[in-house]
Amino acid sequence: MIRIQDVTKTYWMGDVEVQALRGVSFEVHDGEMVAIMGPSGSGKSTLMNILGVLDQPSTGSYTIDEEEVADMSEAEMAEVRNRKIGFVFQSFNLLPKLSALANVELPMLYSGQFGRGEREERAINALEAVGLGDRVHHHPKELSGGQQQRVAIARSLVNDPTILLADEPTGALDSHSTEEVLAIFQRLNYEQGITIIFVTHEHDVAAHCRRLIRIRDGHIEADTPILDQQWKYNALPGVQTALARS
Amino acid sequence: MNVFESFKIALSSLASNKLRSLLTMLGIIIGVGSVIALQSIGEGVVDKEQKRLQQNGTNLITVQPTSQSVGGIRLQTGNSNLTLEDSEAIADPERISKAEAAAPELQTGGQLTYNSKNTFAIGIGTTEAYPIVRDITLSAGEWFTESDVSQSKQYVILGATVAKDLFADDDPINKTVRINRVNFVVTGVMNPKGGTGFGSLDTRIYLPITTASKRLQGFRGPGQTSTGKTVSSIVVKTADTASVNPAISQITDLLRERHKIRGGQTDDFEIVNQQDLLQAAKDQQATYTIFLLVIASISLFVGGIGIMNIMLVTVTERTREIGIRKAIGAKPFDILIQFMIESISICFVGGLAGVVLGVASSIIVNATVPTLPTLLNPSTIVIAVGFAVAVGLFFGIYPARRASKLNPIDALRYE
Repeated sequence: MIRIQDVTKTYWMGDVEVQALRGVSFEVHDGEMVAIMGPSGSGKSTLMNILGVLDQPSTGSYTIDEEEVADMSEAEMAEVRNRKIGFVFQSFNLLPKLSALANVELPMLYSGQFGRGEREERAINALEAVGLGDRVHHHPKELSGGQQQRVAIARSLVNDPTILLADEPTGALDSHSTEEVLAIFQRLNYEQGITIIFVTHEHDVAAHCRRLIRIRDGHIEADTPILDQQWKYNALPGVQTALARS
Repeated sequence: MNVFESFKIALSSLASNKLRSLLTMLGIIIGVGSVIALQSIGEGVVDKEQKRLQQNGTNLITVQPTSQSVGGIRLQTGNSNLTLEDSEAIADPERISKAEAAAPELQTGGQLTYNSKNTFAIGIGTTEAYPIVRDITLSAGEWFTESDVSQSKQYVILGATVAKDLFADDDPINKTVRINRVNFVVTGVMNPKGGTGFGSLDTRIYLPITTASKRLQGFRGPGQTSTGKTVSSIVVKTADTASVNPAISQITDLLRERHKIRGGQTDDFEIVNQQDLLQAAKDQQATYTIFLLVIASISLFVGGIGIMNIMLVTVTERTREIGIRKAIGAKPFDILIQFMIESISICFVGGLAGVVLGVASSIIVNATVPTLPTLLNPSTIVIAVGFAVAVGLFFGIYPARRASKLNPIDALRYE
């Protein structure tokens, strides 16, 4: 579970003081799938950086599994990113010189908790889970955009994170790949109960989540559940059953 | 992140940019290669010199005339002031108890002819004691005797090389050779003493000192007058190395007394012992080593600057990669180590290539230039590679620290 409490973030752009966040509070419980929307300049990216422990709040508190991030050292933050957070970026951010397998193994190399054989086994499992079991030795440039994003998803999951942070994950994909990737997120959330936070500016994408946080001018403007009528799901058997049950 | 994985990443990143890696390494390759090659040549030359000196024996003392000083003004060497009597006095065991044997040397030179063949040899006029002093053994014939010397017999002993040049496979004994148109009978041929070049005893001939001064008079160097009594130098052999210094002081006292040199006056002779020469050769080697270290330091320093430059470029180029690695959990220290290992790898691989280059040039020089024997020293190789790695460490720190301090948010946004 993550909890954000009265978080502000102020930084300087030259001589101008920018108040990116002006007191934001919310909680995300385990197993939720939350979309964060907002226009550019709303503080959305700043919030994303803080949620991803890439940055620390100026004031306020941010806890992941009861661990306070606000007063961590850089090395401690790196460890939290490594163990508790999985990133999926708009531009995939795979290392071009490494194979899909090596890219997925990377977070485990830095955590150092698995041996060589176990690392490879877990990485292959993660790639199989996103449907890329036959592409493990391909390099990113040999894969389509959708496939690259699936490698990135496998990488984000491989250390069993508390939350998966996806920053415009479908922004660089065509509609077919978008469907594919969203289906994977929904299945991960539904089948494995993985907490997912989506940052997007597309309503269509946000509608695949179950909760929507709107942010504007550094404030939370609205924090509402997505009703069944508005909820979009991909035609996955599991998700359909879930809908039928609810 | 373990070190092995870091090495793999570093080596694969070097391999992915081969030309740049090679150019970066070039400074280190040349630095290490030249150190190894030059050191092997220097060591070979000094080793040759030392062997030559040791061949002469470390218990050998040479007395030479020197210029005299009068009232603080040094005069040019005029007449040789060492005489045959000086030599005989030194040979007297009651005066010089530490000397085992002493013999004079009167240097002449001359054209040797035998039938149609001829050669040039340094001639040494000396006495019957000479073989003992110089540890000379003969392969044929006999050395001239005391009476041969006093009767100025026209006898000559040939060095091994001279004998071979003039007689090839013939037996030289009792043959007559002409030295500057004077007939001499060959009474002995030396066993080869070894050594090459100008200083070798094998290219010399030996004759009674009395004969040398009477018969070859016109061909003596300017240092010798025609009194028939002066000598070029006196060679003294002591029983062992420990007796060298006591013998020197005994000889000094004796010669000062004989030459009537009073307390404050400087000697008109100098005494050189082989150990001093050996020490001089060793000092020369030490100087040479320092000189080499300076060259090596300069070339490795220049190479190191090249490496720092390329590493800074690499860090900038790979800003995004650093951002990705940090986002997925690389600590600043992990990034530092990654780039340090990369610069160390460049230097290590460059160092190994330098070893190959240096050893190859040393072998080639050894095979093609006979006057430059080379001697490869394994410790030089180890030190040179170690130095190269140290250069990588030192010049890698700044770029690696810069990489480790990058802000992940900015680094991820870097295009």
